[in-house]
Amino acid sequence: MPKMNLRLSSALPLSLLTPAASAATPVNTSGVAISFFLLFVCTTLGITWWAARRTVTTRDFYAAGGNITGLQNGLAIAGDFMSAASFLGVSGLIFGFGFDGLIYAVGGLAGWPMVLFLLSERLKNLGKYTFADAVSLRLAATPIRCLAASGSLVAVVLYLIGQMVGAGKLIEVLFGLNYSIAVGAVGALMIVYVCFGGMIATTWVQIIKAVLLLSGATLVTFLVLQRFGFSFEALFRAAISEHPRQDAIMAPGALVHDPLSVISLATATMFGTAGLPHILMRFFTVPNAREARRSVFFASAFIGYFYLLTFIIGFGAIALVAGKPDFLDAAGKLIGGDNMAAIHLARAAGGELLLGFMSAVCFATILAVVSGLTLSGASAISHDLYANVFRPGASEQEVVKVSRIATIVLGLVSVSLALLFESQNVAYMVLLAFAVGASVNFPLLFLAMYWSRLTTTGALTGGVAGLLTAVGFIVLGPTVWVEVLGHAAPIVPYKYPALFAMAVSFTGSIVVSLLDRSPRAARERAAFRDQYIRSQTGLGSEGATPH
Amino acid sequence: MQHLYRLIHANPRFHELERKRSRLSWTLASIVLANTAWYIIATAFFPKNAETTGLLADIARFWGQPVNEGGATTWGIYIGLVQIVVFIGLVIFYINKANGELDALKDAVIADALRAAGEQK
Repeated sequence: MPKMNLRLSSALPLSLLTPAASAATPVNTSGVAISFFLLFVCTTLGITWWAARRTVTTRDFYAAGGNITGLQNGLAIAGDFMSAASFLGVSGLIFGFGFDGLIYAVGGLAGWPMVLFLLSERLKNLGKYTFADAVSLRLAATPIRCLAASGSLVAVVLYLIGQMVGAGKLIEVLFGLNYSIAVGAVGALMIVYVCFGGMIATTWVQIIKAVLLLSGATLVTFLVLQRFGFSFEALFRAAISEHPRQDAIMAPGALVHDPLSVISLATATMFGTAGLPHILMRFFTVPNAREARRSVFFASAFIGYFYLLTFIIGFGAIALVAGKPDFLDAAGKLIGGDNMAAIHLARAAGGELLLGFMSAVCFATILAVVSGLTLSGASAISHDLYANVFRPGASEQEVVKVSRIATIVLGLVSVSLALLFESQNVAYMVLLAFAVGASVNFPLLFLAMYWSRLTTTGALTGGVAGLLTAVGFIVLGPTVWVEVLGHAAPIVPYKYPALFAMAVSFTGSIVVSLLDRSPRAARERAAFRDQYIRSQTGLGSEGATPH
Repeated sequence: MQHLYRLIHANPRFHELERKRSRLSWTLASIVLANTAWYIIATAFFPKNAETTGLLADIARFWGQPVNEGGATTWGIYIGLVQIVVFIGLVIFYINKANGELDALKDAVIADALRAAGEQK
């Protein structure tokens, strides 16, 4: 069996963050992509202008007034999830490894039913704008909000840097635009959307992009399948004959080897997603628990469909792009790296027009995802920290103003960091963002809602221990210790910290809570009953209609 | 509100609601976890050479086997596609239950509490 010599610096679908992705030759300099992109920018700026006039209160800014329907929210959640990284990254992984790319699809999709069965309703019934609202109901509000806000901010900032650096590289390759200009443009547009349009604009930008991405990917898939007479067997056969690994691409086992790493990776994709603040926040934009459920249905259906398309696109790229001199550089590698597989396929299947369209859609995707992230970071600062910890009783206008300032600051910080990390491999930041989601935010939320004996001291200990473990594993593991710092061997042999950090976080919270005999702990346990009834019935929820 | 919570807590129908909901949630969640476990097994234990034996290796090997002798499409592809459908099916099943039976029970529990609170006044 011919061995494929491919090294991925990260197997999370963010391998496009590697510096290798920046090739000197742009894939596409045609005016088509730029025209499509300008059309998108004009439309979304129009929406932002419309949304800005409807964004007056904090409820408008953080939760779009609670007026988003299940279908709209489902599309927006799917949009948050379908980042350029997961579209280009997963199709690129399938292009490189075949079948194994599916593990991201299944891990990522499996997170959604779990969110629905265990989190979404209770979260909607307990919270107001952020998940910190739900966890600080019966625990000591100040320290718990600080912990939840730190967990959110760390995850958001790391994920933002990852997305921004990836975006700059991607736009450099797609449009031939200078890296700093690309990053600056993304930052400026994102600040405008969030600052003026709040959650209303952020949601609509996400919905439009989700529809564009799904339509574009559907068209590419249709054209690919048409080439093969709509026969999967014929498509797979062509892929096998083109790929250096031949029929091994139809079987699992190439990407990650040891069982613990596979489990840890699956943990990160499942529970990390459930702990990312920009996704949790979306459950507060719908009016009630019923619409929250409907949003998860639509989100799962769209994400499932999206992965189906990505899967076919990945194999289509092997069959139609690999081995075609048009798409390869002098060294025989794909121009722009494996992550460009889907983009090249768009050109192979639909010519310059489709290439331009898909490039513009990828740019739009990045914009929409970073906007959602920035908004959730800004709410952690303005709602959790400013309005609830530092200045309780601040007026609505004041809080909205602080949110806008926080948006601008976060935007500037992420642009500067993206410029600073330009030539760095930042894949570890994204790994860390997911690990923090899975090991700080998710355990905190889960235990606060399900376990009556959780106390503030326990939650703090577990959260901090989980965060430290995640950071420690990343720094001492293969991604930073070896690839970034240049040591010979990693101190911790595992690349994916989520499983370990999550276990530490849960254990810490549980053990310390059980040992906690303070009077405050007793009060907090006694308060569980009322919180539990509210979580089950929605009685007393924020913004709920009285019966 | 505290008073309503106390009334609800005393209502046996509320405990029926929580029992039913938690049985439904946890059953479905375990099905999802079990389905993901198959993936982990197939990916992590796929044998590196033909001599490897054992149950997990055999399961993983099955995924890489063509469905038709000499064909290209493997069982793993079908299992993957079926899984996407299964997950969405579970979501639909849960939503039907939650919107129908569980929401009706929830509304009844709230109505009971409001009625009892009215009588006590």
